[in-house]
Amino acid sequence: MKKFDYYQPRSLQEAYGLMEKQKGEARFIAGGTDIIWRVKQGLIEAGALISLRGIEELAQIRLNGDLALGSMVPFRTIERNFSLAKAYPSLSEAVSLLANPQVRNVATVGGNLCNAAPSADCAPPLIVLDAMLTLEGLGGKRDVPIGDFFKGPGKTCMEKTEVLTQIRVPKMAANSGTSFLKKGRVSQDIAMVNAAAFLVMEGNVCRKCRLAVGAVAPIPLRLTDVEGMLEHQEISAELLDRVAEKVEQAVSPITDVRSTAEYRRVLSGVLVKKAIREAHQRAVQQ
Amino acid sequence: MKRVIEFTLNGNAVSAEVESHKMLLEVLRDTFELTGTKEGCSQGECGACTVLIDGVSINSCLYPVFEVEGKSVTTIEGLVGEGGKLHPIQEAFVENGGIQCGFCSPGMILSAKALLDENATPSEDEIKKGISGNLCRCTGYVQIIDSIKDAATQLSSEGPK
Repeated sequence: MKKFDYYQPRSLQEAYGLMEKQKGEARFIAGGTDIIWRVKQGLIEAGALISLRGIEELAQIRLNGDLALGSMVPFRTIERNFSLAKAYPSLSEAVSLLANPQVRNVATVGGNLCNAAPSADCAPPLIVLDAMLTLEGLGGKRDVPIGDFFKGPGKTCMEKTEVLTQIRVPKMAANSGTSFLKKGRVSQDIAMVNAAAFLVMEGNVCRKCRLAVGAVAPIPLRLTDVEGMLEHQEISAELLDRVAEKVEQAVSPITDVRSTAEYRRVLSGVLVKKAIREAHQRAVQQ
Repeated sequence: MKRVIEFTLNGNAVSAEVESHKMLLEVLRDTFELTGTKEGCSQGECGACTVLIDGVSINSCLYPVFEVEGKSVTTIEGLVGEGGKLHPIQEAFVENGGIQCGFCSPGMILSAKALLDENATPSEDEIKKGISGNLCRCTGYVQIIDSIKDAATQLSSEGPK
């Protein structure tokens, strides 16, 4: 494997300083479960890796109606946080279905988002929950809505010298529900398709709808046109069938080792329908 | 870059000079000559390289060795007691046919230990989830699940350790 230096700053300022000194030859690293593998394959060239593991302020969770999630909180912590599971079930479910226990014990939401795979499991729930991402660097701080974050497979709006420090999720409205579904070939597989839904209900009428699918487009995809079909409508089996058809038209899946484009297209419609039904059920149970 | 790191390995304080680009797996096998931990896929999917760090299972093939500073590492060798006495989980695997070629076994047993340390009475689903990061090409997993069920029974009858 190519050699690299490895730094372990204890603060963000120290991390930015190290990045500046490396003059573009370094990468920030979180849990490492994506980056180390790509370095081994020769897909990433980095003279140095700057670990964010020792920076305590990045590993804080504050759940107080809304959620302020430090980017370096390991999935392990999120999986075991019952309050978070109750408040944002779709995020908790996505985390618990991701990879396998050993990976979840070190991997992070921040890393999952910054790796920017179209199949990133954390993306659909955070998209439907209207998450806001805080990016920081030597130049200062900026907030980016998650809808503006992904630019292409493996690409985000981040500068190489920036760190994703926090993910903020607003409080869920009354009478709302959210869900996440994932289909893989086997349990620790990358998703063939994943999907998330968020609904705010008034009786049987949907007042607000957010839908997102992953692994079927260059980026995790918010289904804005499909959302419009549901808002201010009663949720019926007939409507959901039409929704599934529209989802099939909205996605642009590819054929790869995990699945065919045709199967993914159909599966997108099915998973979105199921996600809506589950979110609906949770909304009315509230 | 090189550095001397200090950590606890199977209960013993150790130190070694290591290079920054090395993963924990290589250092365990080459520097400390603990070859029980295996390299399978090198990408964190097969679990053959599983070790426990502060009681938590991780894939050592993707664990930068500098990060182990000050931590407590347990390899499969660390489960064996005085005079070579096998750990109850190892005994259970032997008794229940949970080991065929043995290549997945160190990682599988350590994942089982991490599971049982956190949840002493796992359901079958919880066992399956607990070993979902460990692949076995020989057994078809049935005897492995039986071994872990048996280990759970044995450990709970022994009382807390």
